[in-house]
Amino acid sequence: MKLIADIFDKSRPLFQGDGKLAKWYPLFEATESFFFIPGLTTRADAHVRDSLDVKRFMSFVILALLPPFLFGIYNAGYQSNLASGASLSPFSIVFQGVLIVLPLVVVSYGVGFFWEILFAVVRKHPISEGFLVTGLLFPLTLPPTMPLWQAAVGISFGVVIGKEVFGGTGRNILNPALTGRAFLFFAYPAKMSGDAVWVVIDKAKAGALDVLSGATPLSIAGLAGSQEKIESVLNGAGYPFLKLLLGNYPGSIGATSALLCLAGAVLLMVVGIASYRIIVGGVLGVLCTGYLLNIVALDASPAWLSLNPFHHLVMGGFAFGIAYMATDPVSAPGMDNARWIYGFFIGMLTVLIRVFNPAYPEGIMLAILFMNLFSPLLDYFAIKMKLKKRVINV
Amino acid sequence: MKFIHNKKGYDLHLTGNPSQQVSPRETPEFVALVPDKIPFVKPRLKVKQGSRVQLGSVIFEDKRNPEFKFLSPGGGRVAEIVFGPRRVIQQVVVQLDRDEQHESFLNCTESQLESMSRTSLVDAILKGGLWCLFREFPFGDIPRPEVQPPSIIVSLDSREPFQPDPAIYLADRVDLLAFGVKILRKLSDEVHVSLHQDNEAIAGQLKGVLTHRVSGPYPTGDAGVLLYRTKQHPHENKAWYISGQDLLLLAELIKTGKYPVERTVVLAGSLAHEKLHIRTRMGAPLKFISGETSQSPEHSRYIVGGIFRGYAAEKESFLDLYATSLTILPEGDKKELFGFVRPGLKKPTRSRTFLSSLKTSPFEVDCGLHGEKRACINCGYCDDVCAVDILPQFTLKSTLTGEVEESLAHGLLDCVNCGLCTFVCPSKIDICAILRQAKNEYYKEIS
Repeated sequence: MKLIADIFDKSRPLFQGDGKLAKWYPLFEATESFFFIPGLTTRADAHVRDSLDVKRFMSFVILALLPPFLFGIYNAGYQSNLASGASLSPFSIVFQGVLIVLPLVVVSYGVGFFWEILFAVVRKHPISEGFLVTGLLFPLTLPPTMPLWQAAVGISFGVVIGKEVFGGTGRNILNPALTGRAFLFFAYPAKMSGDAVWVVIDKAKAGALDVLSGATPLSIAGLAGSQEKIESVLNGAGYPFLKLLLGNYPGSIGATSALLCLAGAVLLMVVGIASYRIIVGGVLGVLCTGYLLNIVALDASPAWLSLNPFHHLVMGGFAFGIAYMATDPVSAPGMDNARWIYGFFIGMLTVLIRVFNPAYPEGIMLAILFMNLFSPLLDYFAIKMKLKKRVINV
Repeated sequence: MKFIHNKKGYDLHLTGNPSQQVSPRETPEFVALVPDKIPFVKPRLKVKQGSRVQLGSVIFEDKRNPEFKFLSPGGGRVAEIVFGPRRVIQQVVVQLDRDEQHESFLNCTESQLESMSRTSLVDAILKGGLWCLFREFPFGDIPRPEVQPPSIIVSLDSREPFQPDPAIYLADRVDLLAFGVKILRKLSDEVHVSLHQDNEAIAGQLKGVLTHRVSGPYPTGDAGVLLYRTKQHPHENKAWYISGQDLLLLAELIKTGKYPVERTVVLAGSLAHEKLHIRTRMGAPLKFISGETSQSPEHSRYIVGGIFRGYAAEKESFLDLYATSLTILPEGDKKELFGFVRPGLKKPTRSRTFLSSLKTSPFEVDCGLHGEKRACINCGYCDDVCAVDILPQFTLKSTLTGEVEESLAHGLLDCVNCGLCTFVCPSKIDICAILRQAKNEYYKEIS
């Protein structure tokens, strides 16, 4: 520890005042504070402070992201090897998975940090920990076949337009990772939707084999006729409920396993980092809307209307989105009752988009971004309601 | 008697609580007045260096209202007048004589008090130099004597860590407190006296005096929180408040006609070499109270007035007029390797992000920031602990953008400066200090 501390103390003068590298102080500061909690002391009351800081706050989100991330590596490798007809030994699956996922993560962090550092240096503010989360969230929402340059463009858009133009972490109105994903979704739809993008197929290994379909449960469900039940269509295609819950099917890298997202969500709720109001509200929103649609469904109406609401929870990216994206405190409302409504509407909109808008097979991304825009308004009304009860003091 | 339960707030359980033992200190060589720490006052000195003063002689008065007099806490010679930047009077130090002379003021018995007019009572308190113990909501300034306050709130305990236990400072002085409450009843029709449920021991003796029993975490018991919870109409906002110990001083002044200077002070904190209640003089030197400390001064902080609301004082400084506690804590200016991923078995926290939250044992604290300043991430922790519901995260932003109207609508003036919002903030923003500053600026603007 002494050794590392000495290295920082020795190079500090370079980055301060008239030092040669004074411009790069934010980078120095970020690196140092990664190793050390700096020994800063309180300058105003209160004299004592809680030990929780933003770095630990964000670290918990990363910790909660690890299960879907690790499973995402495994699953991307598994689906790829399965489709390519390659070996299904655990080693080769993990190896293939790492080959697919790691470059995306590295590009996401690398390019994202470039923008972070650039803005921090030019605007002279510290590099915020918020990006540690964004940089990992973003690749997990991508299809495994995503070209790296597109991932780089996406994260650039997310960081710059989604966050930095507003002044950095804490001042953004949209979730940066989702902003990046939405950009890719509309800019390169061929790489973000359809049946061909969800599995990496190794042409060399696949050889003359028939290429297996890489359709996601959502796209399969979209094909169901009005007389069919989506559940049975999914069962027929090899996607029973349990498989949807566990997540070993083609899809966005980290978003397939509802079970692991649930585990992450529970961790975040237990430690109080994510608002349980948003998560529970979101789940309720999905279930209520799904149930209401079941009630109004006629025989002739599309199969989506009569889908069991619980299926909505485990299909697609809902679980991932509500656990990790909707709970981003910056872009979510700050008032407790507004958080309930915000969560509920995200759930509701997700289902409505899935059911009534076949052009977008997945609704969670747009639902969250849409509600991000509304969270200041929700806060505004929640505050107004609360202020009504106050005895005026001016 | 009314019972009020307050849910919001936070009890920070700390090691190094003071024992119930009370140790009398001998008379110090020097005592001082610290005008700097009396809010809003503009002092005009009435003595020079070397002047002879008696206990109770006028040392300075307030330029804004010369009726507000501040008296010498001891008899002897003015040894030093310490000026700060821009000639702010920081301290007026009096070297005590062996046999102190004291000024005499009007004294009266209970029956005389009954028949006394409000004006002559006010006059007696003003002359006796203790009017400054009254403070007026919402700004905490000394109230104008001619105003009849909607109510006067006496808080016997604020539950801030390391404050004198009412059972100790009220021991054998319950009658004096009752006398004090009679004085207050002459000044205002409504007098509220509140005590926390936890102080069961003394509650029995205070029957007839207490009007409110409160329960809940810090800052429950604070006069401002009580006002927030009880007020029905805007005119109640301008209530006065006075602390339990200050009321005892007031009662003693009127009863004996002598300027009272005895204070029960708590000495605590992990670097205090003994942790106990001390019976000492108003304006005593901090060094005299602390005794000797083992740590070098660079790594210890002397906090006068409580770890949440107090201020860091020089070791060479003196207790101010209102101070009843001295806490000595480590500065906490040490770096910590990979601090953000440590399990944190001993780290003080309200959150559940450290293993220490699984234990119930008290925390050891220092004055470290435990992180770096960041932009607000809207986590809402500050609102979770705000006992007066001012939505600190939103009020902070409206304050910083200069939206005074909005801040006021949020209840900025109800803020009791409990410091909990600052304590819990993961972005390490000095929320409480920013709000207080906005409040003071607003006060300057309207007065």
